[in-house]
Amino acid sequence: MPLEIVVNGEARTVAADPMTPLAEVLRDSLSLTGTKLACEEGFCGSCTVLLDDRPAMACLIPVALAAGRRVRTVESLAPADAALSPLQAAMESHDAVQCGMCFPGMLMSLTALFERQPAPSRAEILAALDGNICRCTGYERIVEAALSLGGETAAEISA
Amino acid sequence: MAASLADAVAALAERGAEGAPLAGATWIMRAPLRGEAHLAYVGLSGIPALRALSIGETEIGIGACVSHAHLARALAALPEARALAEAAGRSANPAIREVATVGGNLCSAAFAAADLVPALLCLDAAVELAAPGGTARLPLADFLAQRDRLPPGTVLARAIVPRPIAPGATGRSAHIRLPLRAAGDYPAAIVSLAVALDGDGRVATARLAVGSVEPVARRWTALEERLAGRPLDPDRAAGAAADLAGAFRPREGIEASGAYRLRVLPALVRRAVAAVQASS
Repeated sequence: MPLEIVVNGEARTVAADPMTPLAEVLRDSLSLTGTKLACEEGFCGSCTVLLDDRPAMACLIPVALAAGRRVRTVESLAPADAALSPLQAAMESHDAVQCGMCFPGMLMSLTALFERQPAPSRAEILAALDGNICRCTGYERIVEAALSLGGETAAEISA
Repeated sequence: MAASLADAVAALAERGAEGAPLAGATWIMRAPLRGEAHLAYVGLSGIPALRALSIGETEIGIGACVSHAHLARALAALPEARALAEAAGRSANPAIREVATVGGNLCSAAFAAADLVPALLCLDAAVELAAPGGTARLPLADFLAQRDRLPPGTVLARAIVPRPIAPGATGRSAHIRLPLRAAGDYPAAIVSLAVALDGDGRVATARLAVGSVEPVARRWTALEERLAGRPLDPDRAAGAAADLAGAFRPREGIEASGAYRLRVLPALVRRAVAAVQASS
């Protein structure tokens, strides 16, 4: 049965078994390969997307449960030809990206945080990233980059 | 996807042993990893009644499809329910907490490390089961004992937490978990404690539940008896826990041995009593 999902602001119709992981549909049917599948059991966070503006592990969402809902992936942060989002730019200027596998998930968890809390504390940033594992262990720069976003820059992210 | 609770009950009754309810799906999506085949699922998350959470004078009603994150936010200002708010707000990781439901946590019989189960046990919770013959309420411990052999068509509709913790007394509760990493991990052992003090500061009612140590969480009534009638004393409670810990048959696991789970129990009891004391 075809399912309708709003992905990055656009209504998309997908035909897939209802229990197919959302992450697989995003990558294989919609060619949105920014969302990474790694552990596939909700521990690593590399597949984090926003589902109705809240972070969710796309590996554990059956696509049927995303029907009629809004999904945002890392591709939505800087659409083609657009400048990097302030969060992405901060990561670049802090040289925080290493292998990149965890990054789409890191960015989506932090995007959800900044949309609710424009000037989060270090503790709040760490708590928001509880479910995002960086196997390069580059956490310090990621956290520093997130902290560098003051209230003003943070407001732009949610704009 | 069922549109109403009655539809879900009917659809599950029709599917019989091949069917199963589906809420947030975070446990069920990993069925293939556990070597289990998917069943004929009936989705519950579109049923408005199951997404409702109400905080009344005499009870808190929590729909089966309420997420951990929703529960934690809703209970944040309620000191007596702190055990449940902590359990909901610290389990797993933020993205799982937004999706994983109360009903799923209570119904996943193979999930020994579920955080909500001991928290709800210490708060003396009941569950409401909808079935083809009607709706029944039963104590959570009774539900846990029979949850893997309930007749097809049975749906856990709500969890109910009675208020207050004990009549006429101010209650406090705490949920202490020991994950092997600081966060984002399953706890090796859990202690949930609810206490009501009398006018002299002595324990009038104490309910303590232990999770993740045995395959199913349960109350530790022998330890509750040792806490009753005295002022709260974390060290004395830890000593009593060490004396009594032999009553558990702990589960072995790759993340922690059974002996380790027992070894840490007294420390978790000490922290739970201290946390309740600090909030009293």
